[in-house]
Amino acid sequence: MSSGFSLRRQIVSVGALTMAAARDAGGIAVLAFDVARSLLPPTLDGRELVRNLYKMGYRSVPIVVMTALFVGALMVIQFAAFVKQYGATGMIGWGTGYAVLREVGPLLIGLMFSGRVGANNAAELGTMTVTDQIDGLLALAIDPVRYLIVPRVLAMMITLVVMTMIGDAVAILGVMLASSAILDVHPLTVWYGFVDNLGVGDFLHGLAKALTFGAAIALSSCYYGLTVRGGAVGVGRAVNSAVVSAAVSICFLDFLMTYLTA
Amino acid sequence: MTIGRRTLIRIGARTLAAGTAALDLISVAIQTIVGSLWSYWRGKRPKGAIARQMYFVGNRSLLFVLVTLGFVGMVMVYQTCLLTTKIIDGRNQVGAQWARLLVLDVGPSLTAMMLATRVGAGIAAEVGSMKVTEQLDALRMSGVTPVRYLIVPRFLACIVMSVALSMFGMAASWGAGGLTGYYSFQINPRIFFDLSLVQPSHVAVGIMKAVAFGAAIPIVSGFCGLRAQGSSEGVGAAATAAVIGSSFAVLILDVLISFVAMVALGAGM
Repeated sequence: MSSGFSLRRQIVSVGALTMAAARDAGGIAVLAFDVARSLLPPTLDGRELVRNLYKMGYRSVPIVVMTALFVGALMVIQFAAFVKQYGATGMIGWGTGYAVLREVGPLLIGLMFSGRVGANNAAELGTMTVTDQIDGLLALAIDPVRYLIVPRVLAMMITLVVMTMIGDAVAILGVMLASSAILDVHPLTVWYGFVDNLGVGDFLHGLAKALTFGAAIALSSCYYGLTVRGGAVGVGRAVNSAVVSAAVSICFLDFLMTYLTA
Repeated sequence: MTIGRRTLIRIGARTLAAGTAALDLISVAIQTIVGSLWSYWRGKRPKGAIARQMYFVGNRSLLFVLVTLGFVGMVMVYQTCLLTTKIIDGRNQVGAQWARLLVLDVGPSLTAMMLATRVGAGIAAEVGSMKVTEQLDALRMSGVTPVRYLIVPRFLACIVMSVALSMFGMAASWGAGGLTGYYSFQINPRIFFDLSLVQPSHVAVGIMKAVAFGAAIPIVSGFCGLRAQGSSEGVGAAATAAVIGSSFAVLILDVLISFVAMVALGAGM
């Protein structure tokens, strides 16, 4: 029984995994419902929202800009083979722009945003939970969902959309710079290839993705932050679970949104 | 005048802090690499430490990597097919080009981004909570170097498992992409699953990337964990810094290795 492969243990572990996943998914759904209900008569703590927008948005600009620049350069390097093979310099702006606007921009910026803001948020809420500050709020008859969670969810959704806009612009700039440095293609050639072939639809497709990614990151990080147990170790574990579930839901939502809005 | 002086002081303090951090990171990296290269095979090692870390890094991340890379494969193939149907009827090339791109770049780098998320945060949280509960000081008092005891096994396990998981991730991504191509765009699987564009040099570049990413993640996140201060707040901050730091390290290494490979292999890459 105890030595080697045990079928019973395998079944038990699969069952435990399924139960844990179902509990977390249910908890996130309940939290989403609570957030939606608190927004029905739209009461909102404006000061908390502005504070979160500053902390999540303004302070993440450097990491988004750096990521987008590197992604632009990377795409040119991967595209170089095509260009050299077929001499298709007009394709650079079109191909990389299509990929950045619709796919790579929202996906990579979403992952980076989840690492910076989602993890930070889970850690902050987790620390509040561990030090009984949430219970303190409840004792003062302040609804933690309305006071803490709703501003964060809104702030993350707004911020990720704005960050994706900034990131798209910087990534295109990175493509133009890298293609003139590596492939000796004039930046304007890239720009015309980009403008002539892509429309507002491609841009909005990416922004719609960013909006749903923002909601997913916010809800998962708030859920894991609020359900922390067990001191400093628990906070670390909550951060870990928050970023992992955010990554899975980003990839899944990416697929869903591509399918629905294609 | 005073404003200018205060700004100067702040810039100086930031520069000093950044410089110290960079030196610390380099010293952790050197200690890890030296520790794993030399004294690990000579000196005594904790029994089963590498195997346990391999289990945590590899087996426990397998499902996560398969799911995320599978979805990414489906999305990428879908978008590429949309693009090719609009302009040229080049759907038959999608599978071969996707295989080439997966091996060359997307497979190792996306797997490593996922590992940075899962394993990086885990390492930093674990090491960080040991730091704030003064377990690291206890280790030092018993004459054990924390880097050698905690980070070296994770380093070796991560390198092996990054390569292994990249292969699984690529397979999932390719398979899911082929299914999407078949069901949504009627691409014949025999045409889609075409490896003719993948050359041995591409495989070498891919493996090199996976090894480099696997080495960078535990070093960066171990460094973040060792710097944790305070209590639960510090551990959370360390885990956050580890996710961002190691994802960013993956991105930078990806650009560097891709560039070197492009220069070395030339235009026909």
